[in-house]
Amino acid sequence: MSEKTFYDLNLSQTITKNRMVGLWRMMKGYRWLFIGATIALAIATISRTGIYLVLRRFIDDVVVPGNFGTNFVVIILTFIGLAVLQGGFTFVSGWMAAKTAEGVTRRLRNYLFDHLQRLPYAYHAEAQTGDLIARATSDIDAVNRFYGDQAIGIGRIILMFVVNFIALLQLNTRLAWLSVIAIPAIIGVSIFFFSRVSKAYEAYQEQEATLSNRLQENLTGVRVVKAFARQGFESYKFDQENWRKFRLGKNLLSIHSLFWPISDIICGAQMLTSYFFGAIMALNGEITVGTYMAFVSLVIWIIWPMRNLGRLIVQTSTGMVSYKRVAELLKEEREPLLEGKYQPSGDAQGEIVFKDVWFEYEPDNPILKNINFTCRSGDVIALLGSTGSGKTTLVNLLPRFYDPTDGMITLDGVDITQYPRKYLRSQIGIVEQEPFLFSRTIRENITYGVHRKVTEEEIIQAAKFAAIHDVIMEFPKAYDTLVGERGVTLSGGQKQRVAIARALLKNPRILILDDSTSSVDTETEMHIRGALEHLMQSRTTFIIAHRIQSVMDADLILVFDNGEIVQKGTHAELMKTSGMYKDIFDIQTRIEVELEKEISSVNI
Amino acid sequence: MSTFEEFDEQDYGKLSTPILRRLLSLLKPHWRTVVGFLTCIGLVSFIDGYTTFLGAQIIDEGIIAGSRAAIVRTITLYGAVMLIQAALAFGFIYLTGILGERVRYDMRKKMFNHLQQLSLSYFSQTPVGWIMARLTSDTERLADLMTWGILDVTWAIVNISTAAVFMLMINANLALIVLFMLPIMIVVAFRFRIRILYHYRKSRKMNSKITGAFNEGITGVRVIKALSREDDNLEEFGELTEGMYQASYKAAWLSALFLPTVQVISAIGLGIVLWRGGMQVQVGVLTVGGIQAFVSYVTFIMWPIQDMARVYAQMQNAIASAERIFNLIDTEPDVKNRSRTVETQTIAGDIQFDDVHFYYEANDPVIKGLTFEVKKGEMVALVGPTGGGKTTIVNLLCRFYEPTQGKIYFNGVDYQDMRLEDIQSRIGMVLQTPHLFSGSVRENIRYGRLNATDAEIEQAAKLAGAHEFIMQFDEQYDQDVGESGNLLSVGQKQLISIARAILAQPELFIMDEATSSVDTLTEALIQRGMDRLMQGRTSFVIAHRLSTIKRADKIIVIEDGQIQEMGTHQELINQKGKYYNLYTRQFRQELEAQYDIFTPAERTQTEA
Repeated sequence: MSEKTFYDLNLSQTITKNRMVGLWRMMKGYRWLFIGATIALAIATISRTGIYLVLRRFIDDVVVPGNFGTNFVVIILTFIGLAVLQGGFTFVSGWMAAKTAEGVTRRLRNYLFDHLQRLPYAYHAEAQTGDLIARATSDIDAVNRFYGDQAIGIGRIILMFVVNFIALLQLNTRLAWLSVIAIPAIIGVSIFFFSRVSKAYEAYQEQEATLSNRLQENLTGVRVVKAFARQGFESYKFDQENWRKFRLGKNLLSIHSLFWPISDIICGAQMLTSYFFGAIMALNGEITVGTYMAFVSLVIWIIWPMRNLGRLIVQTSTGMVSYKRVAELLKEEREPLLEGKYQPSGDAQGEIVFKDVWFEYEPDNPILKNINFTCRSGDVIALLGSTGSGKTTLVNLLPRFYDPTDGMITLDGVDITQYPRKYLRSQIGIVEQEPFLFSRTIRENITYGVHRKVTEEEIIQAAKFAAIHDVIMEFPKAYDTLVGERGVTLSGGQKQRVAIARALLKNPRILILDDSTSSVDTETEMHIRGALEHLMQSRTTFIIAHRIQSVMDADLILVFDNGEIVQKGTHAELMKTSGMYKDIFDIQTRIEVELEKEISSVNI
Repeated sequence: MSTFEEFDEQDYGKLSTPILRRLLSLLKPHWRTVVGFLTCIGLVSFIDGYTTFLGAQIIDEGIIAGSRAAIVRTITLYGAVMLIQAALAFGFIYLTGILGERVRYDMRKKMFNHLQQLSLSYFSQTPVGWIMARLTSDTERLADLMTWGILDVTWAIVNISTAAVFMLMINANLALIVLFMLPIMIVVAFRFRIRILYHYRKSRKMNSKITGAFNEGITGVRVIKALSREDDNLEEFGELTEGMYQASYKAAWLSALFLPTVQVISAIGLGIVLWRGGMQVQVGVLTVGGIQAFVSYVTFIMWPIQDMARVYAQMQNAIASAERIFNLIDTEPDVKNRSRTVETQTIAGDIQFDDVHFYYEANDPVIKGLTFEVKKGEMVALVGPTGGGKTTIVNLLCRFYEPTQGKIYFNGVDYQDMRLEDIQSRIGMVLQTPHLFSGSVRENIRYGRLNATDAEIEQAAKLAGAHEFIMQFDEQYDQDVGESGNLLSVGQKQLISIARAILAQPELFIMDEATSSVDTLTEALIQRGMDRLMQGRTSFVIAHRLSTIKRADKIIVIEDGQIQEMGTHQELINQKGKYYNLYTRQFRQELEAQYDIFTPAERTQTEA
């Protein structure tokens, strides 16, 4: 259960201004592995270069003089030995690089996931879901590619250049310098092209998204398309986007089809220049035939890989952007769950006091103004008021999704900011109007958030109390039905009852109910009411009420208007005074009278 | 994130003759391009082999023979050949790439057009994501195989063959050693590739699960916090990333092992060649240049092999993709025109349902024996509980479905004898959750009649009561409605869809009233818009509001796929049956809503 198992490093602390340093810090624990990968890569590269140097000896010492003694066998064996060494270390390097990249990414994923769920609710209320997901998935993938592909890829090309160039210098200084003249040009052309390619590719991808959207709209709107018989028009619209994608693809390919031949020509020209001067020098006896052969092979390994450098550099720059986007998330501060000056041992009593509580999301725009009330343990508090009058904001303060801007809320006489958030939340159950269910089985949804083993009987018991058992049993897979699975969709009322069952199992001391039963039939409504009554027994309950019936029995009714409590008291008390509450109540009576009138008007 | 990732099934398919024939038929219209790129790549590949041979000649005829002229000549030839090769490379990249895009375009077009013909039942049984995956990832895979795949294999085969021929020319004896090693390398490479692909696919699968977990972790964060699920969630997520780690690590590990293994095998082959070859130089059978050529051929032979292995592994996936694509294209629409149809000028007139039954699956009937008649110009209200069959009746009426038993008559003519287009082009429909298309308000209204003028569009909007709020937009009728119209409120979308239906001047009007509450003003506007639409038209309304129901000429109470009660408001109230109960309950609710200051208007995001 400990966090240590999933990430052993506080990644939020690795963030610095310099992205390279940040990426290096993020590798902590894998740095030696990464260095190992680089060393292995160097050994492999040296081995390959060695192979060509052995080949040179083979030609110069064995073949040309015709000296097939022990030397010959040694050379052949060295040749194979170096090949094995090269293969072996190439593997080791790839393996270590993969371990580094995958390990660092896994830690980053775990950390970010945990980080996101521990960021304050206030952060999530503001953030865009799509953007967060993009950062958590495609941006992390880009960081993964940086470690596993780009960093090591650039390293490989540089190593190949350095090792082979040193070898060339050993063979012949003049030839060596002659062989790298075109390299700046190759790199330049390559960077130029790949930055063009990456732009064209982006446009292509965007069009892909547009096309997908068009398709999706057509599929989800199939009834409209058919009802207006617009199949032809739809095909025409789709074809336009489809054709645009074809054009953009063509554009992308034109760049590619120019780059590769042009770079072929530059690389080829460089290679042939080297070949020519090499051959002439060999002819003049300045170098041996063996040297020429080794030289010819080494040149290939210097020139051609350079073409990829541009791609890697361009990709690295997009990787850096991704890293920055991830780092921005990591910099956000988490809310501590366990921290608290007051660590209670048992369950709370549920006595709650609001004292001069003010709340505002933005300065000078208070949503709650000077809220004062007291409720005893086990009380039912009803919150009445129109949308935006502050009811939801008020109950958001209880589990500390937000903290009051001013004033204090106490639970059992202790300021709730003194409690650890985890404890506080363990004492509170929330049943929302349209609760969020997870795409798991109904059973898992009911037991979600119950931190103990739950028996099947308990689950069924809870479902029965919540009046959802019968509905569940009608599904082919009963409690194992996946929520949101094809064909199985739960209505708002059914979701709410699953949430009631969930709250029953959690067995909290304080309950927050968003009471809305408008979209169910009479029988179900009765069931839900029964379930709710069961749930509210001996708990301090806050009901966000939309209808007067559900507040009549409350111990305290708070009537909200524009962030203020305008009336406060029991049903009996409030009925005695004129005011909003009484007005609302009177409407009920009026409705019955009107119904009577309406029915009789029909029956003339 | 794409919602259709989960439908990106990747399994193995077997190449069979019929599939191969169909695959090739995709390329048939573009056979010239195919011939073009195959020629280019064939020559490129041949030149690859030839230049190596030229390299050997520089040594033998130039350096060893001591001829400067030969060096100049060979290098010039080398350069010329490379220039040709560059030109050919341009050719094959351009041709293959564009053919690939073209094949993608063709396939998407074909599938999309076919989808337009398919019946509603197909869409109610097939998840949108599944269809989207066919038009995206499957199309990608198939097009890649048919272009770059074929290209790579051609290159590889020509490359190996050219190398083999030149090696045989240089020294048959040594060439045979290499050719003997070749199958070993190929088998090893193929097996590696398949294993790598297996793990790679597993990691993709884990990846989409991880995306799903992030999605839920973010959208459900309130519940997670309220239930203190953070630790459990992290643990579950840790299992996913562990799975992802294992799969991608294995794929990477195998990839790391793959090339070195092939290289070592070829190096051993080369060792043998050098050992035998060294002896032969002595006897004069082999030249130094010959050795150089062998070194190059054997060193670079791993590339074609690795390409072939890759294409082979990808092919199995792509074939499975092809099977799914063909499956989509082969699906026949359930509802289509009969071979002989009646010419229809109008569908306005009496409508009869005669013992209509409908089911998706025979043992689970949805509609059980509906019989009723509607006179021209009447308004019918369908009421009853969710899932009772109201929507199915409307779908039958529009001939999105056809009765599995019984008949529906328009003007006394069996509507299955009519042409689908004739029926559906005369229907106007407003859905419960109005569907708009991305684009401007104007474009969305024009959807009702494509050749409508701007003035007519405005007129329709005015009639629908949408004009006022449209004029308040910054860009008025040119305002972008967003993807599926989600920049607008439900009420606004509904008004626009009413305007769209008004513009269509339908003969039959169908409306599925929204249950979600809209503010009183919008509500009144919608009512007025509906009134205008229903004037003088036969209309069916899946009704939720009493004002609508009461006005109906005929109320049909549907429950359990059957007509429970039917008649006018007055008749049904007097029956004191199901309708009576439904009505009184609804009456209380509506009045409560009307009077009650606490009833939420459209719920805002923060409240939900």
